[in-house]
Amino acid sequence: MSDGGVYSEKLSYFSRMLRREGLSVGPQETADACEILTHVGLEDRESVKTALRTVYAKSREEQLTFDRVFDGFFISEEAMREQAKRQMEKEQQMAEARQEAREDLQGTGFSEQQKELYAAMSAEQRQRLRDIKKKFDKDLGRNNPGLYGNFIHSVFARAMLEQQMLMENAGADVAELDPELGLLYRDIGQFKDVEIPKAIHIIQDISRKINGELTAKRKNKAHSGKLDFRRTIRKGLETGGSLYRLKYRRKRQRKKHLVLLCDVSGSMMQFSEFALRFIQSLNQASDSSRVFLFSESVTEADAFSLQNMDLFRQFVRDQNIYGKGTDLGTALSHLCTAKPAPLGAATTLLILSDTKTIDQPRAIAALQEAKRQAGKVIWLNPIPESKWGYIRSVQVFSNVCTMVSCSTLHDLAQACKRLADS
Amino acid sequence: MELTELKQELDQANYIYDDTLATTLYVALKLGRPLLIEGAAGVGKTEVAKVMAAALDRELVRMQCYEGLDESKALYEWNYQKQLLSIQVNMSSEDKDALTKSLFSDEYLLERPLLKSIRSRRPVVLLIDEIDKADEEFEAFLLELLSDMQVSIPEVGTIRANTVPFVVLTSNRARPLSEALRRRCAYLYIEYPDVEKELAILRAKLPHVDDRLCHQVALAVAKLRSSEAILKKPSIAESLDWAAALDALGIRELTPDALRQTAGFVLKNAEDLNVFDQEQEEDHACSCGHHDHHCGGHHHV
Repeated sequence: MSDGGVYSEKLSYFSRMLRREGLSVGPQETADACEILTHVGLEDRESVKTALRTVYAKSREEQLTFDRVFDGFFISEEAMREQAKRQMEKEQQMAEARQEAREDLQGTGFSEQQKELYAAMSAEQRQRLRDIKKKFDKDLGRNNPGLYGNFIHSVFARAMLEQQMLMENAGADVAELDPELGLLYRDIGQFKDVEIPKAIHIIQDISRKINGELTAKRKNKAHSGKLDFRRTIRKGLETGGSLYRLKYRRKRQRKKHLVLLCDVSGSMMQFSEFALRFIQSLNQASDSSRVFLFSESVTEADAFSLQNMDLFRQFVRDQNIYGKGTDLGTALSHLCTAKPAPLGAATTLLILSDTKTIDQPRAIAALQEAKRQAGKVIWLNPIPESKWGYIRSVQVFSNVCTMVSCSTLHDLAQACKRLADS
Repeated sequence: MELTELKQELDQANYIYDDTLATTLYVALKLGRPLLIEGAAGVGKTEVAKVMAAALDRELVRMQCYEGLDESKALYEWNYQKQLLSIQVNMSSEDKDALTKSLFSDEYLLERPLLKSIRSRRPVVLLIDEIDKADEEFEAFLLELLSDMQVSIPEVGTIRANTVPFVVLTSNRARPLSEALRRRCAYLYIEYPDVEKELAILRAKLPHVDDRLCHQVALAVAKLRSSEAILKKPSIAESLDWAAALDALGIRELTPDALRQTAGFVLKNAEDLNVFDQEQEEDHACSCGHHDHHCGGHHHV
């Protein structure tokens, strides 16, 4: 290397970029990178990339991020100029789009973040929205200005939500580069049939892991303080009868009673299947569980029907609750009034639903009553948290009980682990 | 050792590698960092440690991790029986302090793999296999060894490494490893080999097997691995077994019948075998226009 200082500075800047992308990079890694480059040299780009990747990236996920940052950072001069030119054009276009967004959305009450989404839309899409607004503008102030205003607002809000989903899906591509990670981070509702066995396999793997962790944690928790004579004497035999290590009785662990209320109407079916499978396989999470399925009516599922997905689907069809609408109020009222009572102080009620229901006020009242009867109520929602702001029903229900977003297997695993751990 | 020398050594050990693997090994070796290798089961993670031991001409010290593994199995244990016998024999000794001191000396220390690897006079390759199966507590215990190359034994004090071992940790990603452990290691992720690399491995390990058969096996295995429906993807060891079994049965071409008869060597669970049978039936029914028996010998992998 002709000028070590320049390279150290560049590497230090590269380290900062990696840190900004979420990699845990410290001074040690930068020092290692400097050292290894003196051995590997800078002649071969691929060797440099591999050597730096070995030093900086400490997991498969980090390797993917590293590759992206490296390819953007270490580029030829010509490519850099080209990229800068493209970036400038892009920024200019974005500035114009932001200006348009400010003008178009003046006085509409949309937040700055929503204006950014509007600016990120294609020119055609923005023009389409402007046309709609123009068409209805002349009607504003006539018979019912509030109604037209709300209509325009909802059209714009929907377009922005779609834009946000589009942008988030583009971001999810990184996870999909790795087939092993892909399924973990994808929306459960969008799994193809062929991917379901693989997803089940992943669930089994994760639940085995969580069960193992929980067992180990419980095993290592403090003992009860009472001496276990039998085990102490047995252990003592190894050291010729000297009671070298005392053994204590373990603390008795009390597990939870779970009551699961699963929405099996239309779009919720696939999510409920996966979530149920997950929770059922966590034998360390609860002592006993009862499962209720609902759409317009509610029914209790037996253990046999939950054995596998085919039996589950058949059961849902037989009970005549498949493909119906959703009535959460009725389902919760049933739980509150059924005899013997499914809910009690030692019960955790898990609701698996996307919050869409008929007669929302009745559902809220029933949820409040269920919360009063059960020890804890947790809502697993398959809608990603970033979209909750757009959906009124989510906001209303999340005010009453704890709501956790579980749109992917990864989220679901995290939620189940927290549930079992708490 | 320079990169070219390492490559030569790997060649001599008859190991098939690509530039990424060789560079990563070189980086870990040069920086004196432990190497953490992750990847699906059967991609050759453990083999890397074995090959490095051969390439560096060092002894391989292996520690297999499992749930419940603790210091007494991994690092050291006092030989209690021998200590008790010594107490009985020297009961009448005047100098009690000397007796107590002697009880915690090398004579009564049972070395386990970790201690053995750092007390060795000649540097060794230490393989800590399937670290993801060990408990988190054990992982935390490893940190001192991996970062400072020393271990603490309460009765003896801190033992520093006589020689620095080349440490290889492998993980199947059954559970996420701690950030602290990862930070102390150089990292390598091994994917399943592509057809060319698999073929090169088959040729290197089974030189007596017909090249055409090796090629067909490599293709078939690649297809099985790419299938979403197959849950347990075939490992490199399984493709080697498969090729060897076909050769032992005198099969020179991977026909549909041969595939069906020997699928058990490469697919190891009932669900995968069912999927495989279904795919075979679908292939025969549509792709060639002939039924199984009149298929003219071409294969459908």
